[in-house]
Amino acid sequence: MPMNTTHTGPSGQRISDNELILYFYRDGLDAQRIVEIDDALFAQPELRLRYTQLQRMLHEVDCAPLLEPDAELAGRVWQKLAARIDAAPAPRRTARAWTRTLRDLLAPWPALASAALLLIAAAAGYYAGRQAPLHEELAQGHAAMSARVLDAYVAEHLRATEGLLLTTVNSDSADLHAGNRELAAALVESNRLYALAAARSGNARLADFLRQLEPVLLEVANQPADAPVQSLDGLRDYLRKTDLLFQVRATQAHIDPADRHRI
Amino acid sequence: MTMANEEERWAEERHVAAARRGDRDAFRHLVEAHARPLFTLCARITRDAALAEDAVQEALFNAYRHLGDFDGRAAFKTWLHRIAVNAALEQLRRRSKQEVVGADLEDDEDEDFLLSRATPAPSPGQHARGAEITRRVDAELARMSTLERTAFLLRHAEGQSLNDIAQALSLNISACKQAIFRAVRKLRGALQPLR
Repeated sequence: MPMNTTHTGPSGQRISDNELILYFYRDGLDAQRIVEIDDALFAQPELRLRYTQLQRMLHEVDCAPLLEPDAELAGRVWQKLAARIDAAPAPRRTARAWTRTLRDLLAPWPALASAALLLIAAAAGYYAGRQAPLHEELAQGHAAMSARVLDAYVAEHLRATEGLLLTTVNSDSADLHAGNRELAAALVESNRLYALAAARSGNARLADFLRQLEPVLLEVANQPADAPVQSLDGLRDYLRKTDLLFQVRATQAHIDPADRHRI
Repeated sequence: MTMANEEERWAEERHVAAARRGDRDAFRHLVEAHARPLFTLCARITRDAALAEDAVQEALFNAYRHLGDFDGRAAFKTWLHRIAVNAALEQLRRRSKQEVVGADLEDDEDEDFLLSRATPAPSPGQHARGAEITRRVDAELARMSTLERTAFLLRHAEGQSLNDIAQALSLNISACKQAIFRAVRKLRGALQPLR
């Protein structure tokens, strides 16, 4: 049976083996906790012994045998690939890639980027409507294109929102939460515009869902800079109870089939 | 970054840009540069040379088809490795006919396990058991769940961040950490009898 000997950092908080693992990789701990563990390792021989055990064990993993590729691997892979590539169409830029490029170009002006999107969607819809009596098929094509552009933008928006929610729920890092506040503030405005665009294009379900996200984004954006991580507990409970993260993923998957494997 | 590394990076960017325009030779350069490290990555996950080679094949073909989506925000290598992780997992899924990722997301025990089994530095006799230790590590890696092994090896051997691993495996950070904790705990347990 493991002994429950307690090693603590200067703050008095117990240092678990799991934290020592994160400390070993210098990943997943905030800077203050790393300093605390540094100090505790210096001051506590038994904690040092635990950490040495961990280091030694992980070093043994480095010595485990590896499957080495043979010298002809790259040639063999290319030979099979070449045949498949010849049979496949050349790589194309998807709607998502085009919208990402547009967004990157307009990144310094987020409101302008959103406005540009809406303009494109609205213009395509207007053009489609004007041409409908004469060129119905062509007009439908333009309407479908505007819907795809909007979908691609909303999918990107939901991906950013998903990352924000994941950080809100899982991270205790003050730095990450500071970044999250800025991200949330940037997402609030675009969220409103996408909800409006979705409503105008007749997608009431998407519009409702985006409106449901707004209070959460506002809550994250308006967290005081010096608030402790515990101040997010209420929001975290709300997110767990409403399963909002899953809903964001499901909506993303509905909009963008490439994301379907993630839910 | 050294001058040679800088030149390699620049050459790679040119090859990626040309391949995106459909230049087959440029893509061949990328295949030649990345096939071996991708094999190592896939072999760590699948533990089978044939499956690893199939995964490399699929990963590179998927990369070619989706080059238009590569936006250059991550390094090309990072993007490619993410595709390869999924290709390797897919090979395992096909073989086992069951979902492997997400199959073992139960909460980890938070009980410590290092100190109770801690011993002083190994004696010369224990050094002689090095081969046995290596064999046990290898056997334990084979016994781990795919999720645990993949998360652990991406962190430990590939040096990927928890964030990147979580993205590659479609997990949240907490689940990703738990998988790594379980993997380390299992390794510790496997080595204990030799200590």
